[in-house]
Amino acid sequence: MAARARQVVKAYGTGETRVVALDHIDVDIARGQFTAIMGPSGSGKSTLMHCLAGLDNVSSGQIHLDETEITGLKDKKLTQLRRDRIGFIFQAFNLLPTLNAIENITLPMDIAGRKPDRAWLDQVVDTVGLAGRLKHRPTELSGGQQQRVAVARALASRPEIIFGDEPTGNLDSRAGAEVLGFLRRSVTELGQTIVMVTHDPVAASYADRVLYLADGRIVDEMYNPTAEQVLDRMKHFDARGRTS
Amino acid sequence: MTVLRTSMRNFFAHKGRMALSAVAVVLSVAFVCGTLVFSDTMSTTFDKLFAATSADVTVKPKNAPEGDEEGPKNGRPESLPASAIAQVEKADGVKSVEGGITSTSVTVADSKNKNMGPTSGGPTLAGNWTRNELRSMEITSGHAPRGPTEVMVDADTADKHDLKLGEELRTITANGDFKARISGIATFKVTNPGAAVFYYDTKTAQRELLGASGRFTHLSVTAATGVSDAALKQNVTRTLAGDAAAYKVKTQKESADDDRKSVGSFLDVMKYAMLGFAGIAFLVGIFLIINTFSMLVAQRTREIGLMRAIGSSRKQVNRSVLVEALLLGVVGSVLGVGAGIGLAVGLMKLMSGVGMELSTKDLTIAWTTPVVGLALGIIVTVLAAYLPARRAGKVSPMAALRDAGTPADGKAGAVRALIGLVLTGAGAFALYTAGQADKASEGSLFLGGGVVLTLIGFVVVGPVLASLVVRVISAVLLRMFGPVGRMAERNALRNPRRTGATGAALMIGLALVACLSVVGSSMVASATDELDKSVGADFIVRPAGDSGKPLTPQSVRKLREAPHTGHVTRVKEVQTKLTTPGGKTESEALVATDPTYTKDLRRETVSGSVAGAYRGNAMAVGEEFADKHHLKVGDKLTVDFDHGRTVKLTLAAVMSDDTAFDKGAMYTSIATAERYVPAGRMPLDSMLLASADKGQQDAAYKALKAAVAEDPAVQVMNQADFKDDLKDQVGQMLNMVYGLLGLAIIVAVLGVVNTLALSVVERTREIGLMRAIGLSRRQLRRMIRMESVVIALFGALLGLGLGMGWGATAQKLLALEGLKVLEIPWPTILTVFVGSAFVGLFAALIPAFRAGRMNVLNAIATE
Repeated sequence: MAARARQVVKAYGTGETRVVALDHIDVDIARGQFTAIMGPSGSGKSTLMHCLAGLDNVSSGQIHLDETEITGLKDKKLTQLRRDRIGFIFQAFNLLPTLNAIENITLPMDIAGRKPDRAWLDQVVDTVGLAGRLKHRPTELSGGQQQRVAVARALASRPEIIFGDEPTGNLDSRAGAEVLGFLRRSVTELGQTIVMVTHDPVAASYADRVLYLADGRIVDEMYNPTAEQVLDRMKHFDARGRTS
Repeated sequence: MTVLRTSMRNFFAHKGRMALSAVAVVLSVAFVCGTLVFSDTMSTTFDKLFAATSADVTVKPKNAPEGDEEGPKNGRPESLPASAIAQVEKADGVKSVEGGITSTSVTVADSKNKNMGPTSGGPTLAGNWTRNELRSMEITSGHAPRGPTEVMVDADTADKHDLKLGEELRTITANGDFKARISGIATFKVTNPGAAVFYYDTKTAQRELLGASGRFTHLSVTAATGVSDAALKQNVTRTLAGDAAAYKVKTQKESADDDRKSVGSFLDVMKYAMLGFAGIAFLVGIFLIINTFSMLVAQRTREIGLMRAIGSSRKQVNRSVLVEALLLGVVGSVLGVGAGIGLAVGLMKLMSGVGMELSTKDLTIAWTTPVVGLALGIIVTVLAAYLPARRAGKVSPMAALRDAGTPADGKAGAVRALIGLVLTGAGAFALYTAGQADKASEGSLFLGGGVVLTLIGFVVVGPVLASLVVRVISAVLLRMFGPVGRMAERNALRNPRRTGATGAALMIGLALVACLSVVGSSMVASATDELDKSVGADFIVRPAGDSGKPLTPQSVRKLREAPHTGHVTRVKEVQTKLTTPGGKTESEALVATDPTYTKDLRRETVSGSVAGAYRGNAMAVGEEFADKHHLKVGDKLTVDFDHGRTVKLTLAAVMSDDTAFDKGAMYTSIATAERYVPAGRMPLDSMLLASADKGQQDAAYKALKAAVAEDPAVQVMNQADFKDDLKDQVGQMLNMVYGLLGLAIIVAVLGVVNTLALSVVERTREIGLMRAIGLSRRQLRRMIRMESVVIALFGALLGLGLGMGWGATAQKLLALEGLKVLEIPWPTILTVFVGSAFVGLFAALIPAFRAGRMNVLNAIATE
């Protein structure tokens, strides 16, 4: 297992205003798998990802990354963990405007004071097709190119696991397909573990496994889905949500 | 109305971001108001004092000194005969006439030979106790002096030196020393700003202070009921009749006005100097305000775009920003006026440390003070916000639709660079011209112009320089910090205009510091150099402190008798009216000395020989005077000695003007002066120069010190003491100026804090991202600190460079006035540079702390 959560609860506020975002969740993320987390707005899918990634702390329960328990770690250890063992792709604003593409890609390693693995770096850059644009600043790149740089950055330090928060949410379908294709390939060809939050059935169809969240609980899962299957299942949930 | 409402909302929504700009306005306004209140309070204090001490009508001898004129230098004040009292008493409307005596040529010491009077600031006043004194004083313990062995002292002096009734004090005058016990203590009814006052009975005062019985320095005339001062003055003048020409008759108001003139110029100099420094602080504050509003406008681009999209006009947007500035100006100025009054009180406390006692009872707040403070603060703030406001007006409605992300990075334009370079070039040329000038007057004009032009040029070209200088500093300093250093560098570079303006604010203060330190140390170096070259005397004996009181004859006698001394040269200043062969008459002071003076101070002559000037009926003049009046050696000058005879002296030498000491001085021998000035009128020695017997330096030094151990008003210095003294004086002066410039530097540091704080807010998302991908808190804080250090060093580098340039030019110009040696005080310059780095670290404390505390998730989610 690359990551696992046990009885994770995340609640905001107390008493009357208490809102439970994650309600005793158990989840296992398999190594070398592409996992998509889906669910309607407010289902807690982003919160789950943030907790798994060590960006947010949990109210109770345990989260392990590989053999390391990350719940209860101090900020310093968590930061190191994110830096050395986790990769991130956000929906937007993934890059530092003052750094060019290659500098952004190697930033986590630079911060850690590690030398990037040249051959691997070249391979990653090649894979995402950015070879000609490495010296460009983010403002000189299109939205799709920027997200590809973000993917390259996430891959470059060979993290144990990559978390994506709607990585294609701001892209048109073609650019989105490109980025998702790279993510898929990095799982298939490079054995990378990826967890991605999305509300787009097409994006989810690139995953090996889809987890469905509703009201802070995992309500369903699906392996090797197609976009149609995902859409169907979503409709089902939506309908159920309306009737209940 | 909508505009006002939006502005108000924005202002209060961003009150944190406005806070530092407000502090800058508060500080500048406070300094202006503080200065005004302080100087008004000083005026009030002196007005009250002089009004209280002046009689209804005062009669003085015609040649008594007025205002800031110097009195006679023979150690005895001008006086009038007691017979005048009877004369004045006969005038209509006179209730009473009293003969008064006041002398400043006095030193009072306690049994340990400590000076009981102030050594700087206020005077030591000695006189007789009369009913007129009761206008301003009352006896609070003991009784008035009766007889020659009693003295009464003012309560402030008694407090300061812990004097008790019955304690013995020694009074030192040109007529000798005498001892008296304290019989009483009198307290001022008004604030005494710092004078020490001693009273004796009339006979003692006449004998000891005037050296003559039956004489007074002034008559205090009291008017009968219903008689105005002006009428009384007329009557008194009429009664004096033929003798009126020998007297000055003044009403209370006239006396007070004339007395005020004696302190007026000092007060004015102080006031305008301090206002000048307040102006510099304002100038620096402008940069801060411009930066704040630029950043606020940039951060609000999307919002402004939306306002424009839904129909706000350019003017409305523009005006809404200006209204915010107006609010800032009003809040800052109101607080500033209040703080200014507090500052004035603080200054008053501070001044008591240097012997200027002021009371909060006299605190004077003229109606103009808050008006000036508010007007200045508000106008400057609104003007400073004008450019950013205009930029806000130019935001297109499309900005609302664009993905704003971070505001576009400002680029320094080529036009701007060109203008800046042209200005700097013009300034540099003016400075060069100033350095080449052979007349100080025209050179100073170029110097001033050059300073202003290069300053403006640097400010304009600052953003361009920022890119360059920041890169260099980073290459040296930041590279060793790896990627964090690189990001700090990029951050400092991403908006050169902002970095430029922030650095420029610091530059102004530091440029002045550098310039003055160069001039100051050049002054010390030049004087030391000249001292080594031309001063042959081993010792200088002169009045202690800044009293300027001439040396008493008894001290001089003891000094001349001191063992192990080779020769002792007396130096006197003799007032004359000089008429050239061309018929021009000028008032000139001759420096009358013993002939050994030529050994003590070696001077070059243009023609003739100095030794000749010390023969009978001869003199020497300075080069400039000789040129002006076409004088040559051998010419006869008509010299009208003050209180003495008029004679013709032969010009024996023309002295070179190329000197740091005694430039333009006219020399003659004491023997010549004594021949024409009556003994009682001969000025006392203003200074002595002495040499030691061969190999007896230390013994002579000790002997001279011992000779005047009992006279605290005399200071014996050897050359080393003299150099130290010079260094101390320049050092004190510089420290005072640095202290005043400190205000401008504080405002500049606030500017750095402000820029960093706003940058951190602006980069919230970036910071969130960096933290998410693994930047530690410590690394983040270090990044912000380094950005701050780079900005501070950029400002320091520019400021110090500019200031040293100014200083070097000033020295070249002043070389004409004897400032021949250029000395760059590297330790000071280096300290300031390194200090700036620490200032940068300090400025980053809070912004870095806040950045480190940001919640990663919230930061990423920020729009």
